[in-house]
Amino acid sequence: MTANLHLWLIPLLPLLGAAINGAFGKRFSRQLVSAVGLAGSGAAFLYALWIASQYSALATAMPIVDKTLGTWIKAGTFQADFAFQLDQLSFVMLLIVTGVGFLIHVYSVGYMWEESGYYRFFCYLNLFLFFMLTLILAANYLLMFIGWEGVGLASYLLIGFYFTKDSAANAGKKAFIVNRIGDFGFLIALFLLIQHFGTLDFTLLADKIVPLGSEAGWGLLSSIGVLLMVGAAGKSAQIPLYVWLPDAMEGPTPVSALIHAATMVTAGVYMVSRSHVIFDRAPQALLVVAVIGCATAFFAATIGICQTDIKKVLAYSTVSQLGYMFLGCGAAAYSAGVFHLMTHAFFKGLLFLAAGSVIHSLGGEQDMRRMGGLRKEIPWTFWTMTAGTFAIAGFPFFAGYYSKDMILWKVSQHNPILFGFGLLTAFITSFYMFRLWFMTFFGERATAEAGHGHHDQAPAAHGHDDHGHDGHGHGHAGGHAHESGWLMLFPLVVLAILSVIGGWMVGGGEGFAKFLSPVFSVGLAADPTEVAGGMSEGFVSALATVAFLLGLGLAWFLYVRRKNIPAQIAQNLGGIYSAVLNKYWVDEIYATVIVNPMMAISRTVLWQGIDRKVIDATLDDAAAGANQLSGEVRKMQSGNIRSYAAWVAAGAVLVVGYMMWMGAAR
Amino acid sequence: MTPNEISYSHILPEVVLSVFGMLIMLAEPMLGERASRKPLGYLAFFGTLAAGAATLYQAQYPGFAFWHMVHVDAFSTFFHLLVIGVAAVVILSSLDYVEEETVHAGEYYGLVLLGAVGMCLMSSAVELVLIFVALEISSIATYVLTGIRRKNAAGAESALKYFLLGSFATAFFLFGVAMMYGATGSTDIPNIALTLAKGSIPGLVYVGMALMFVGLGFKIASAPFHVWTPDVYEGAPAPIVGFMSTAPKAAVFAVMLRIILQTGAPGWLYLIWGSAALSMTLGNLGALLQTNVKRMLAYSSIAQAGYILVAFTAAPQEATSAVMFYMLCYAAMNVGAFAVITFYSGKDERRVHLEDFAGLGATNPLLALTLTIFLLSLIGIPLTGGFLAKFYVFQVALKANMVWLTIIGVLNSAVAAYYYLRLVVAMYMKPAPEGAVRVAAPLPMKIALLAAAALTLYLGIVPTGVLSYTTEAAAQLLTAPAVKVVTGQ
Amino acid sequence: MELVLFWVFAAICIGGAINLLAQKHPINSALSLVVVMASLAVEYLLLGAEFVAAVQVIIYAGAIMVLFIFVIMLLNAGEEPHGGKTSLVAKLVGLPALGILAVMLVWALTAQAGGSVAVAGAEPGPPQVIARLLFNDFLLPFEVTSVLVLIAIMGAVVLAAPLQPHHAAKILAAQAGEGGQS
Repeated sequence: MTANLHLWLIPLLPLLGAAINGAFGKRFSRQLVSAVGLAGSGAAFLYALWIASQYSALATAMPIVDKTLGTWIKAGTFQADFAFQLDQLSFVMLLIVTGVGFLIHVYSVGYMWEESGYYRFFCYLNLFLFFMLTLILAANYLLMFIGWEGVGLASYLLIGFYFTKDSAANAGKKAFIVNRIGDFGFLIALFLLIQHFGTLDFTLLADKIVPLGSEAGWGLLSSIGVLLMVGAAGKSAQIPLYVWLPDAMEGPTPVSALIHAATMVTAGVYMVSRSHVIFDRAPQALLVVAVIGCATAFFAATIGICQTDIKKVLAYSTVSQLGYMFLGCGAAAYSAGVFHLMTHAFFKGLLFLAAGSVIHSLGGEQDMRRMGGLRKEIPWTFWTMTAGTFAIAGFPFFAGYYSKDMILWKVSQHNPILFGFGLLTAFITSFYMFRLWFMTFFGERATAEAGHGHHDQAPAAHGHDDHGHDGHGHGHAGGHAHESGWLMLFPLVVLAILSVIGGWMVGGGEGFAKFLSPVFSVGLAADPTEVAGGMSEGFVSALATVAFLLGLGLAWFLYVRRKNIPAQIAQNLGGIYSAVLNKYWVDEIYATVIVNPMMAISRTVLWQGIDRKVIDATLDDAAAGANQLSGEVRKMQSGNIRSYAAWVAAGAVLVVGYMMWMGAAR
Repeated sequence: MTPNEISYSHILPEVVLSVFGMLIMLAEPMLGERASRKPLGYLAFFGTLAAGAATLYQAQYPGFAFWHMVHVDAFSTFFHLLVIGVAAVVILSSLDYVEEETVHAGEYYGLVLLGAVGMCLMSSAVELVLIFVALEISSIATYVLTGIRRKNAAGAESALKYFLLGSFATAFFLFGVAMMYGATGSTDIPNIALTLAKGSIPGLVYVGMALMFVGLGFKIASAPFHVWTPDVYEGAPAPIVGFMSTAPKAAVFAVMLRIILQTGAPGWLYLIWGSAALSMTLGNLGALLQTNVKRMLAYSSIAQAGYILVAFTAAPQEATSAVMFYMLCYAAMNVGAFAVITFYSGKDERRVHLEDFAGLGATNPLLALTLTIFLLSLIGIPLTGGFLAKFYVFQVALKANMVWLTIIGVLNSAVAAYYYLRLVVAMYMKPAPEGAVRVAAPLPMKIALLAAAALTLYLGIVPTGVLSYTTEAAAQLLTAPAVKVVTGQ
Repeated sequence: MELVLFWVFAAICIGGAINLLAQKHPINSALSLVVVMASLAVEYLLLGAEFVAAVQVIIYAGAIMVLFIFVIMLLNAGEEPHGGKTSLVAKLVGLPALGILAVMLVWALTAQAGGSVAVAGAEPGPPQVIARLLFNDFLLPFEVTSVLVLIAIMGAVVLAAPLQPHHAAKILAAQAGEGGQS
């Protein structure tokens, strides 16, 4: 073991920033708030860079575990520590989270400068970093769960940042609750792990699980794996729990970039990769992961085709790309999944920031139908966004190309059907991204009136007015667009460079896999890549490139060349089109099947049956104010007492009856 | 020290509390008619401190006294400190409340202390008759405290309701005690445990257990005996709701641990299972749409009782330890939440609706922050006591293969986030109504709030000390103590 | 013979209890309670608990009931208005539930009659034995009952005593404030 790295400092630095800004930020000037916020995230980033500089010395000792903070819980034989661990996987995550996190902090200084609650924003942002770093550095599941819940909380606070808008507050709540549903699976998985292995420590668990053989059918590890996947599906917005992410776009754009594209939503992928020992022994669970990932990737991509809000397109794209990552993990190619996680953090972070820059320059406009021709007005944004678009679509030798190919190739060796859908999704991705690109930057700038004649206007429900805007009222919507300041452009440029070279830089998929192999080869009998048959890597790359070109071509044809065709297609397809446009009514279905019945039970059964008081609450309040006592009271509620007594008696019958039955049956 | 003699050190906290209760009653007439009643409150607070010290002193002399009536051990010490601590916080948060409301101050503080006598005694009593008397003390004190706001129709109504229904339930308990005696020939818990351990358990034991469960289930507001809770909590004074939703419940849970686990009684497992599942589900569903915060927390406390009942399904020792830990966390967060409501609701408790809490984060950061901590803990967010308590309970339940109950419980705690969050949303994400003024909480209130908040966080971050204590106490409770032999000599 | 008497007085006791609930005038209810208490005393006597029987008569039927009737006459309480809202739940759920409960309990007790209800050390004895029990084994419950009584008295005081001057002042102030607002 090398000298103590004091890993615990890394999450603590942003927490310190959050605490200072939270406590005193109100009295600070904006400059000071920014300085504190940037210091919090920047210090963590510098620490990560320092570790990177020492990497060659540390690599042999990995995983390095730091238990400086001591024991957290000790109950009987179960123990969980405040222990942090550094291995290749958490190292990669550390660099991504602190690096992208810091860049987005910088960007936010420019973007949020004129917002009220500026200090609050930076407090939350730093708080988020604290939890996220706890999540990725934790050395056991329980500590990881602190980060897991904490990022949910921070995300909730940040989505609801524009809390004067009801839609924002509701979106925050929705995100939190859907995540809690996912946590349900995660928690049960943890309980099962404790029950059967007595620990939640990653290393100890690996020691106990590795000797177990691969499960032929459905066994304990499969159950644990699927439950973990439920948790991951909540956090990483996979089917069936993805519904919160598009709504989360109500938050400020830097938040969308940091939390809902680059870092938090990838926590599920990280968690599944971190649990690879379990999944390696549970092929059934892996299949579930792969199918969920593939289905989400395809499904969300199709929704992305018809969205007109620039951030919503990116949101569905994020859901879809996360599906890709799970698809990779599901093929037991965790390093491919994590690789895509990394490149996605670069290009999707970039795309969101660039979209934010577009929105900023248009004074809060988010509807792509009112954009167009912007490439000359905001050239920096245009060029960086171009880099991001080409990267996500899979332009050869850009970052996304490497990672997507890696996933597709691995999947092709496992399951041809999933591969087919993966390839199809690559094509759709390329199409909707270029649709966004063309609509935003090419053609003529559509004014508000012109926008109404456009085909995508179709159902008015998705028109301009009910989209949440960033609250960026600069008062020149429709006027001349202006380029953002250097504070916002600098992160764009850095991320654009990474989007271009990020894949090549780490030596492509193979190089990255080799880097991570100390983590993922734990407990593996043989190199999993050695699967007989299947397609060659080059062939898959060629197919993916064809998909890219087809998507680009189609988007060009439909949105530049023959702009009237989309409207006709929409008309001819009718039902399918409206299904896609309305996101397959999933929100509505959930509301009808789950939420409304629950509310109905709460309202009807409980209030009418037992809690009738609520309905005449006003009447009671009036009575409380008045000074009439006994008679009134008795008349008003004596019936209630009798019915309550009746319920108690009925309960007693159940209890006594059950116990007598037990006594008789003994 | 033999078990068969009078030993005041074994009931010292109860004696101290009674003495202070009576002192307060004597002191009140000495105060001028229009004088502030705060000195009485401080006297009461001092009484709780003295009782706490007495408990610590008493803990050095474990064992039986009064002819096997009480048994001092780590278990009883834990619940003594819990009850006394709750009483102390409630008294601190009541100081200004009592000044403002139309309340007989002497009786108010006196009843809190004397009620605590009953609750303390419930946790150390090992004999059913004494438990019954102690339960009655605690119950009658809370009935009266519920209706202590004379000029409040809702208060009088809820007191009446609570009194009538509570007496109904107590009758069940008493009948159950009689049945137990009939079946086993003893009301002494170690003796009963011995009889039951011999095998061939008479059928009356089952009936007795059932009847006692009805009575106790009513007191902890577990389904299906929970119907009274929202009405009574709504009508009772806010600080008293904080008191009665925690201290008597803790005492009753202590009694349940003794009656159910220490005796090793049979047949109750799926009874508790059903009651726990029903309490969690009904409590959470009932709270979903409530707009009156007191009512919402009433339903929440039903659900919380359900979570605690889940722990009973685990292996006895883990169950005991989990119940104790959960109860402590629950007491800290619930008493704290009601302390905030006590202060914020203001005179005549006008502000108890959800919309009244709008903008609290801006107008009163301390109240909002502490209430947020309590609510996060009630939701079960990590680094708060509430999270670890839930985690512990569900973990031991699953260990005992209570798979479905655990699933129901964890799902419930996911749903519950919805209504607690509504309050947080109101505080931080809604603008304050016009004319909202910033009112600084008085010092005693601040101390009460910060103490509760600190304990909530402490239990979430460094729980090991408490956990090892509860584990030890559980072990002590379950190793069969000496059995009473002599009767009537 | 004893068994016959037992059943007869049991019937009287239950009849009195039902009458107590059914009567509208408080005096009639109170007198029914006397019947209940007295027949209970006979039951105790039949079971061989002379001391308890005597105490029952002296304290309940004697002292407490006299006090009740005294208070009722003093307050000149009239007929209770019956009616008001009767609860549907009480009729449909409560009454059947109580019926089932009674049947179950009777069944449980009778099923046990031949069984192990033999209770050690439970011979109801002369006052000496009771006294010894009360001042040794049950000393603590006996003493603690005083706290119970104290609380009951405090409750009565709280709910019945007139408000103190400072309370009245507060109420007046509050009313003035309300008047000003409205």
